[in-house]
Order: sequence, then structure tokens, then C-alpha cells
Amino acid sequence: MSAAPMPIDRGMPASSFGEPLLEIKGLRVDFPEVGDGPAIDGMDLTVRRGEIVALVGESGSGKSLTALTMMGLLPPGAQVTDGTALLDGEDVLSMSPKRLNKVRGSKVAMLFQQPKVMLDPTARVGGQVAEALRRHRGVGRREAKARVVQMLRDVGIPEPSRRASAFSYQLSGGMAQRVMIAAALSADPELVIADEPTTALDVTVQAQILDLLRRKRDELGLSILLITHDLGIVSTMADRVAVMYAGRIVEDGTTADIFSSPQHPYTEALIKASLLEADRGKLFSIPGSIAHARAMERGCRFLPRCPKAAELGISDMCSGAEPTLHTCGEHEHHSRCHAAPEHAEAS
Amino acid sequence: MLIFLIRRTLVLVITLLIVSVLAFLIPYAGEGDPARKILRARVNDPALDQSQVDALTKELGLDRPIYEQYFEWLGNTMTGDFGFSYTSRVPVSEMVAPALSVSISLALAALLLALVFALPLGIVAATRRGGKIDNVITFLSQSAVSAPEYWVGPVLVLIFAKHLGWLPSGGWSGLAYIVMPALALSLRPMGYFTQVTRAAMTEVLAAPYITAARSRGLSFPKTLARHGMRNSMLPVMTLFSFWFAGLLGGSVVIEVIFNIPGMGRLLYTSVLNNDVPVIQGGMMWILTLAVVINTITDLLYGVLNPAIRVTHG
Repeated sequence: MSAAPMPIDRGMPASSFGEPLLEIKGLRVDFPEVGDGPAIDGMDLTVRRGEIVALVGESGSGKSLTALTMMGLLPPGAQVTDGTALLDGEDVLSMSPKRLNKVRGSKVAMLFQQPKVMLDPTARVGGQVAEALRRHRGVGRREAKARVVQMLRDVGIPEPSRRASAFSYQLSGGMAQRVMIAAALSADPELVIADEPTTALDVTVQAQILDLLRRKRDELGLSILLITHDLGIVSTMADRVAVMYAGRIVEDGTTADIFSSPQHPYTEALIKASLLEADRGKLFSIPGSIAHARAMERGCRFLPRCPKAAELGISDMCSGAEPTLHTCGEHEHHSRCHAAPEHAEAS
Repeated sequence: MLIFLIRRTLVLVITLLIVSVLAFLIPYAGEGDPARKILRARVNDPALDQSQVDALTKELGLDRPIYEQYFEWLGNTMTGDFGFSYTSRVPVSEMVAPALSVSISLALAALLLALVFALPLGIVAATRRGGKIDNVITFLSQSAVSAPEYWVGPVLVLIFAKHLGWLPSGGWSGLAYIVMPALALSLRPMGYFTQVTRAAMTEVLAAPYITAARSRGLSFPKTLARHGMRNSMLPVMTLFSFWFAGLLGGSVVIEVIFNIPGMGRLLYTSVLNNDVPVIQGGMMWILTLAVVINTITDLLYGVLNPAIRVTHG
């Protein structure tokens, strides 16, 4: 840990998480031209300083869209229709394009799923690593060059000075992701949004990249929003977990609480699916497919796939009103399920 | 890289040999005895004396086997000797060289003019895709593509030479003479270049590495300059070299309309006169240059996108 070249002092130890760095409240993102209802519908999520929060959910639940929205890089056709997203007290969603350019890379950076295609095939790797550094920290060309080599070495790239002038096709997926990490961290951002950063990599490389990310968090006091569908990664990486379903958070809590006492049937099902998969036993899959936000106007969005509602005989309640995201346990454990017990907030 | 160059050079030599066979044989593609046709062109007498025909055949070596003629011609060609024109008896090189330089100047002027307009228009259209500006640019580029030179040429002459009197209507003796033909010749490539630039840039702007560059805080224009341009230039360069190679042979229509002594007119008259050495020499020059341009383009691919060097090398 002390091997860090110069840990940024963010005013607190990395172990006790500080005040919120990113606070998403009531976020709604719509694709008006598609007309399937909002893809993200009333999402709340908080990432504190120094914390790794995992955002979990199956494909299509709105995880990646959340990431791009936080970067102010909405895909064509998408529109933020409601909500706020305070990054260090400043709403990302209402920033001017100019301010966004300033914030991207310097306060918040992003990692992507397919690192190789995220690098310009016609440009040398080093130049891309230096981009944020030069843009945000006013570092000159020559100094940037030296810093890039140092940064590449720091993320575990062998022969960094030679690699700096390599092209993306000359790198393996793991190397490319290391380069992307160096590029993302080059201007000392406070928050890194990592969208499935290891999904495209093979297992051993996966572990190395995750180790690197955790080490960087410890060294720099980074906050990481880790988007993944892999609960194995969640259990080793995350301090807290937020489970997303059909555009909303259905459960969140500390990693320990989520795994030991999940309070939402969807979370339970996800855990069950991943445990069985890990045992190489019969694969468990959640019946049905993810609902469109519009299809479920009143009731719980998970109801069509929920085993619990029928089991407990509360289907009427579940179809009548959508449950709120309420406190259901200690350590700020919340669930959006009628069956999860209300827990008095300890003050 | 060295192996790549050696391999390219080998391919180049083989291509040139094939090209030389084509250039040599093309004039013989027509029917009839060349010696007879030449004589008919020289003397206006329908009833030719067979002994005269035989004498000329022998003089030109046309009675020997065709492969013998080819190898002799190829050997001479390598030393820069393309023979003499049957009709004017001037060395072929002395006819081809000036005509070719005229055609190259005209082609370059037209294509650079096309590029100067097409690049910004195509980029603007791509960044405003679906908007009003894009629609206007697309309409204009489609109009340009469908504007034939035999129509644009005379219209330009009418406007700029006849009515306004700003430019000479024809001839080739200075910079002013190149403006109108180059403009007329540039419209169609301009349209195509615009469309290809727009398509390529549209694709590149949707590429993941553009999003990644934006995520580092690069502004849109800066991202475009740093990562958009280079990646979208490959197809434009391909089309440019395609047009350039095509225009080496000159544009018969434009050269006739504007009375320009280029390759188009030279080849046209040579074919009419059955001037075999001029056709052969001219073709050899044009085809060789075309092959060279193609090779340079291929090499530039590797410079623009290093990943190509590996897969194609």
C-alpha cells in the first residue's frame, strides 16, 4: 500500500467511508422514440468516498445506461427526464457541456467492458493514456511522456516505455484494460465507474485486474462504482451492493448483509443462480424475462417471476401497489419487496 | 516491415509484367491488318497495292510472331524507347510525356478541389446527421454526383467565358486555363468524396474509442481531430486514388470541350489513326502509374492504420 508513488490525501482513511461522493436520486432515463417506457425509472444510489459499490443485475436492467448517464455520455436517443445526480455536491445531469468536459476524466473516469475496442486502433497507446493528464492537469508533452511510462509501470505493464508506443492490436485484452486503467486514473479522478471491466477477460486476468482496481482504491482513496452481473466478483470486491431490476434498485446493503440475508426475491434468485453455477451443478435460472418499465404500471415489477408472492399468498398486495425501497435491516439495508420486514431506522 | 516491402515490390513487378502484355495487345484487339490500316490512313486510296502493304509489314516487323514482337517491345520499353508514331514519326515518349503531365495536372487540380470541399462538408454532415444541414449537404452531393461533365463543361463556358468573360473558354497556356476544366471535372468526385467522408465519419463517431476519449474529458471537436479524422480517412483515400488512377487517361470529354492537349485526346486520336506504338506506349505509361498509385495507397493504409500492416503484410 505504501508503495504508491504519491497517495492523494482525500482527508480520510480508506477504511471508514466518508460522506457521499455520488448521490443519485430519482433518476429517470427515457428513450422517447422507442416508447417502451423509461429504461431507468426512479433510481436511487449513493457511493461514498473510498467505497466500492457494486451495481448488479441482469442484462437490460439499466446498469450500463446508468454508467453512461453519470458520465454525461448518453447514447443517441436517450434522455434524462427526471432526477439528480450529485457528484461532490454538483449535479452532473444539469452541467453545461463545457463543465462536463472538465469533470470527465478529472473527477469521474470510466472503464469499459471491451478494453481493446476502447482504444483508437490508429493511435499509440501512450498518447491516449496522457490525454486526461494533459487536458486536465496542464502537463506538457514531454513531461506527460515520462508520467505515462511511470503510470503504465504502476498498473503492471512490463516494458512500459516500449508499450507506450504500441498500438492496441499489439496488446492482449488484459494489457489493454491495464492501459485503460492508467488512462482513467491519469488525472486523479475521485470516482471510477467500471462497467463490467473484466467480463471480456479470462479468469486469471480477471483476478489481476480486480486486484489492481482494489489496490488503486486503497492507495488513492478512490470511489468505485463497479457494474457487474458476476456475484463472485461482487463478494470479493464490493463494500456495498445495489441490485438493479427493470430500471430500479430493488435492494441495497452491505455485501455481507446482501449475501447472508437477502431481502428481495430477485436478489435471492441471483445468489442461488450463481451458487449453483459455482458448484457446477444444475444451472438455476430465473424464470421469465426482464419486464419493461411500462408493462408494470402499478404492481411490483418482479411479480411475474416471483416465487415468493404465491408462496406467501400476497400476490394481490404485490400486484396492487409497487413496494417502496424501505429499510429492512441494520447497516442501511433496503429492499423493494412487500415481504421484507420494515426495520425501524436506528438513529 | 522489410519483408512487407520486398513482398510488395515483387507483387508490383509481376503486376507490371501483366500490365505490359495488356498494353501491348490492346491495339491488336481490333479487326484487320494493321499495315493495311496504316496505309489507308496515309494514302487516300481504297485499292491498295499488296506489295506496298507487304513492304510496310516487313518494315514494322509485323510479320514476325507476336511474342517476338512483344519481347522486343518490352525490351525497348525498359530502356525508355517506346518507338515512333506511325502517323507523325515522332518518338512516342515525346508525345506521351507532355500529354500525361497535362492530364495529371488537371486530375490533381480537380481532385484536390473536390477534396477541399468534400472533407469539411462530409464531416459537418456526419456530425449533424439527420438534421437540416445534413439534408442540404446530402442533396448537393447527390446533385454533384449526377452532373455529367459534357453538361457542366458547356454551362461553365457559357457563364464564365461567354457572359462574364472572366476565363478563357479553351486552350492550355496558363493557370487561368485550368480553372474551368478542373471545376467541371471535380463535381462528380466531390459528390462521391462527400458521401464517403460522411459515411466513414458517421461510423467512426459511433466507435467505442470515441466514447472512451470523451470519457477522458476531450471535447467533441478535439476528439474528432485526434481520433475521428485518421480513422475515417481510409475509405476517402481509397476513393481518391481510385479516381486519380482513373483520370490519368485523361477525360476525353473535358479535353475535347476545353481543347486541352491531354492523354484523353492523344489516345482518342491514336485509336482513330490506328497509331499502334502511341496506343501501346500511352497505355503502358497510364497502367504503370495506376499500379504505382495503388501500391502507394496500400502502403499509406499501413501508415494510417498500423493494424492493417500485420493482417495484409
